[in-house]
Amino acid sequence: MKKQERSQAPGVASQWPAATLTMRCLMENDPYIPKILVLATEHCAYPGADAVGKAHLEYGANTYILRVPSPALFPEDFYLHAWSRGVDGILIAACGSDCPYRGAYERLARRIDDLMVRMKEGGLETERIRLTAICTVCIKAFLKEVSQLNEALAALGPVRRALAAQLEAESRARLRSAALAGAA
Amino acid sequence: MSDPFQGKKPEQPGLTPGCQRCEEQAKVGVYICRCGGNISDVVDVERVAEAARQMPGVATAKVHTFMCSDPGQQLITEDILAVGVNRVVVASCTPFLHESTFRGAVARGGMNSYLYEHANLREQCSWAHRHDPAGATEKAIRLVSAAVGKARCDAALDQIRLPNHRIALVAGGGIAGMKAAGDLAACGLRVVLVESTGALGGQLLGRGAVYPTETDAEHIVAGLRKEAEGNPHIEVLLNSRVRSVSGFVGNFQVTIEGRFGPGGQSATTSLTAGALIIATGFHPYVPAEGEFLYATHPGVVTMPDFLQMLQSAPGGTRMLEVQGRPIRSMAFLHCVGSRQIDGVHTPGPDGRLNTYCSRVCCTTALQQEIAVRRRFPETAVFDLYQDIRTYARGTEDYYRTASEAGVVFFRYRGEEPPVVEAGEGKGTRRTPLAVRVKDTLTWGEELRLPVDLVVLATGMVPNAIPELVDSIKLPTGEDRFLQEVHPKLRPVEVSVNGVLLAGTAQAPMDIRETLSAAGAAAVKAAAMFAHEDVELNPYVAEVDLSLCEGSGQCVTQCEYDGALQMVDVIVGDRSVRRAQVNPGLCVGCGACVAVCPQRAIQVNGWRLDQYEAMIDGIVAEVAVGAH
Repeated sequence: MKKQERSQAPGVASQWPAATLTMRCLMENDPYIPKILVLATEHCAYPGADAVGKAHLEYGANTYILRVPSPALFPEDFYLHAWSRGVDGILIAACGSDCPYRGAYERLARRIDDLMVRMKEGGLETERIRLTAICTVCIKAFLKEVSQLNEALAALGPVRRALAAQLEAESRARLRSAALAGAA
Repeated sequence: MSDPFQGKKPEQPGLTPGCQRCEEQAKVGVYICRCGGNISDVVDVERVAEAARQMPGVATAKVHTFMCSDPGQQLITEDILAVGVNRVVVASCTPFLHESTFRGAVARGGMNSYLYEHANLREQCSWAHRHDPAGATEKAIRLVSAAVGKARCDAALDQIRLPNHRIALVAGGGIAGMKAAGDLAACGLRVVLVESTGALGGQLLGRGAVYPTETDAEHIVAGLRKEAEGNPHIEVLLNSRVRSVSGFVGNFQVTIEGRFGPGGQSATTSLTAGALIIATGFHPYVPAEGEFLYATHPGVVTMPDFLQMLQSAPGGTRMLEVQGRPIRSMAFLHCVGSRQIDGVHTPGPDGRLNTYCSRVCCTTALQQEIAVRRRFPETAVFDLYQDIRTYARGTEDYYRTASEAGVVFFRYRGEEPPVVEAGEGKGTRRTPLAVRVKDTLTWGEELRLPVDLVVLATGMVPNAIPELVDSIKLPTGEDRFLQEVHPKLRPVEVSVNGVLLAGTAQAPMDIRETLSAAGAAAVKAAAMFAHEDVELNPYVAEVDLSLCEGSGQCVTQCEYDGALQMVDVIVGDRSVRRAQVNPGLCVGCGACVAVCPQRAIQVNGWRLDQYEAMIDGIVAEVAVGAH
């Protein structure tokens, strides 16, 4: 399959029904369907993703949605770990300004900024992660985010797992030295 | 599609290196729901069960048509006893619907209810991928695999108990609010009733006779008001609004602004309430200027306007007179501000169309038509409708009676609504208005009806309550009405625990439906108050003292006073500084978790090793070979 065709791949519900997509991949012997992890806040984005299903709107079945109180929970190395295990892209679907936890969204945004700096330095494509706010009825925003991440991943191809694992180890070491410095 | 797990054992999901909790002895029971076809029409549930049986730690995997039914739940309790299942995964609808149901089943089986995980195979799988059954089935297997991985890392948890403040706050003093307040007071419970206007009664004030009993609305309001105002259990705050709400079930902190200061000054007060009843109601749709000539021609009025006119119309004539003008003929136009169609109707100022049916306007229109025909037999009445929906008990009679009373019906298609325009004719034959309608009852013939008055049967629009919606995160639907958890199973509850819906803030309802909903909300609140304590999910941070090195990083991340601090603890024979969580104050956001290099601090129920176990479940290598 040509690259530019692939770039409009999974999740574009209106243009490419998901079934057609799977069939295309099978027929054209293209084994690559990226795996997308969606970290969805239980107050906003998770019910938002439910609303997409309730509206019977479709997106690619390559999206795995995990419920989370606030993604501020995750250290940098968690994302790197996910890539090292073979997740291709991560969508952090947060509450944004609707976040029920004081200061959590701001911390999250800073953490993702830092992560993207590390990725850039380490040579891991920053297009593999997206941070967005999805509300409980943000159906269109959800579909758009999933579709855009799918497009980006189709262009990038599979994640370099060994590189991600290496960055993960570095990240954990950095967290450790930061803690030691803080304790001292 | 070939089975992604066929022939190969998946990688060991859940056995994350370093995960202390993954119990070697975990025996997971997996229960997959067909949801009466909602799931199984798309997802091959038998294949999911077959794949689940291959997953490490899974003792049994079963499929049931309705897991939430009693027999479905019994599968769980039976397997706990018979098979020795000690972790449970149910793969069904969204966890917001039935997670608590299945936790209850797990507890009935004698297990700790937190040794339970939920996989969302309906809203986030079968409904979202219905044209990709192969992809949906693979996804379902991976979601179950993730849930099994997480379940294997589950630890038994105890609920947090906090005192329950047995006061209900009712927002809105219409009939719904008054009814809910009265019913709660009858149970001996304390109620604060907050009404934004200067009087109780809401939209029913001044409505005249109401269907189907033809009682004067004033009697209904007066009865409920007497119950509320004279009641020692009910504190009524008029000219007041709820400004903000924080907290949780049993412990809501409510700020109220109103003119209850000295001398009617505006003041703010706050109180703690255990439950909130939202009875903020609706207002009638106000047509845009020029919509059916509304506000541009004095002969076009809304239904609430007309009710006032009819009440004050002089008697003793055989023809209706409005402001001294005889009404020789008049038209009632249904569905104004309801059942709006994209491309046909103009959206409101917020860009939205009211696509819903307001449900009470049909019967109200027929009721008023009958009233006009009986009191003023020389006034001709035309009824222009797309569908007559007199759905409630006793209301179909209104349609029959209106026909017998000589009302002339015209039926239009929603896509081609009638047009109201200036009238023609000369002398006494001249009418100020005319209505053009393509009447489908006469094969789509276009008719032009000369009339003196047009009544727009306006629908219901929910009152805007941004303070409540924003501060409690109340879910609203596309139609702007508040949304219940489940239209059948949990019709007066919202996804926020302790908040209940009463009346037309939720959907268009008539008086009977409103009062039923209000009574149901009151009973739900009373049931909550039957307990001395509220039990909260124990999803708060906890420090593992065997891992904590006392770096204090976590404390710098916490935004909640007193929730997390450094304390002296004795480890072995010496005193060291360690982090300590106050579970009553921790909100479980997890901001502290991200900075601990030891992963010593974790949010119970949402531990990092559990997330990693879920990822391992999702990416199990075998699936790649399927394509």
